[in-house]
Amino acid sequence: MAYRDLRGFLELLESEKQLIRIKDEVMPEPDLSAIGRCAPDMESAPAVLVEKIKGYKTPLVLNVHGSWQNHALMLNLPKDTPVKDQFFRLKELWDKYPVKPVWVDRKDAPVKDTIIEEDINLFDILPLFRINEFDAGFYLSKALIVSRNPDNPDSYEEQNCGTYRIQVKGKDRVAIQPLPFHDIAVHFKKAEEKNERLPIAICLGNDPVLSFMASTPIAYVQSEYDFAGALKGEPIELVKAENSNLDIPARSEVVLEGYIEPRVREIEGPFGEFPGSYSGSRLQPIVKITKITHRRNPIFENLYLGMPWTEIDYLMALNTSIPLYDQLKRDFPEVQAVNAMYTHGIGAIVSTKSRFGGYGKAVAMRLLSTPHGMSYTKIVIIVDEFVDPFNLEQVMWALTTRVRPDKDVFKIPFAPGMPLDPSSEPAGMHTKLVIDATTPVAPDFGRDTELLGIPEGVEKWSAILRGLVKEGGSK
Amino acid sequence: MKCPRCDSESVSVMVKSPVGDEWEVYLCDTCKFSWRSTEGENITDPEKYDKRFKLNPEEFDKLDKIPPIPPLLKK
Repeated sequence: MAYRDLRGFLELLESEKQLIRIKDEVMPEPDLSAIGRCAPDMESAPAVLVEKIKGYKTPLVLNVHGSWQNHALMLNLPKDTPVKDQFFRLKELWDKYPVKPVWVDRKDAPVKDTIIEEDINLFDILPLFRINEFDAGFYLSKALIVSRNPDNPDSYEEQNCGTYRIQVKGKDRVAIQPLPFHDIAVHFKKAEEKNERLPIAICLGNDPVLSFMASTPIAYVQSEYDFAGALKGEPIELVKAENSNLDIPARSEVVLEGYIEPRVREIEGPFGEFPGSYSGSRLQPIVKITKITHRRNPIFENLYLGMPWTEIDYLMALNTSIPLYDQLKRDFPEVQAVNAMYTHGIGAIVSTKSRFGGYGKAVAMRLLSTPHGMSYTKIVIIVDEFVDPFNLEQVMWALTTRVRPDKDVFKIPFAPGMPLDPSSEPAGMHTKLVIDATTPVAPDFGRDTELLGIPEGVEKWSAILRGLVKEGGSK
Repeated sequence: MKCPRCDSESVSVMVKSPVGDEWEVYLCDTCKFSWRSTEGENITDPEKYDKRFKLNPEEFDKLDKIPPIPPLLKK
């Protein structure tokens, strides 16, 4: 692998001209969120390393995952790899699961270089800033949070790594949002039933593959570390936390150790969320930070999220699509690819060959009954196998030339929904919309149509034209 | 000092800038809003804070608990 950790990946990005540095001092507000907003809108959409922030000691990196170029480099692919090819490469790596981690000694774990136990002050280490104007405060938006099942504390399989939003409420006190369908909520419920503290580790500045897996919907007993190993093609290095038996990445920049207080709720939010709007205030649990460990000269990594697309959209794009693809493919081998990149799969496009009439509709209903699709997916579009679901122009072609609105569009009223979708009403309920844009096959029938073909020599000429563009010359 | 978001007068200094004397961050003890002294008036001034995001502490008890607190297991 071309990188071992976040630092190694930043070097790779810089050598590929996918990282820029800001050396002049900037203000925490409004500069940092403005930088986070601009970067993914640029053509190269590079990561941005901000070296000096007024009043702080630590540099900040933003937009590490925020472009298809950076996403390709994370997967060890050339940076101009098309999205559909990245999908199939990710699928190939996915199938290598599990690649078990290795545990290293504390002395070999860079994250243990510095250990802080007294006078904990998050601001000493982390250049915290307001991400969106009406956020309740300063948030950690790209943390990997580790927890274990308190009823089965030795179980590595049940250990969970997930990204949950964290509001900083004091020098050593933060709030966390475990939604009831998140794996950490399973652990926390068991701890609260016994009125016990739940130990957690909040890991920041992680190997990009780890941050990617922490935002991927996988099964409760599947390990994010084993998946990350599969994606890297080599084991992730782990080390034990100081205050618990949690396994933490040995090469992360900063780890905050602490516990969630049982049976306590306190006001949290609003916070600008991934659907591009604020989520309201709720009463949520509190975390006490008891220890900080960090690398020498740490780098803080955080994520700006705004109106899509911003960095967060790349962290819930192909990793949302692959599990859905796997679940569909099992029963519907004709499925070619799944693009569930829109707002964490609230919108999804599936390309499939049709075995018989109405097949596309059956595929859509299966998608809506998968663990993720059941609550998240609201709009499903099914296209033919020769349509690239990642190419929205082709998808629009299918919608405009294949859909018979009287036969191919239907709704499923009042089904499970995603509460953070502001159109979910009441929060957590959706009416689903299915658009079947496949060509009718028997016993269904449509008017005869013959597709236009591709001229002979296209591949040859495509290579010649690409070469000419690269050279800037003529033939 | 008043909290710009809920107008509570119970406000404390959460932290001062780790380098130099550049800014302070305040924390409202009532609604847990935090803000930095160097932010714009749209954030720091209770009169100018956007009304759509103002909070009334009397309503906090009615907010949803996420996740809900489960019953204690009987020993």
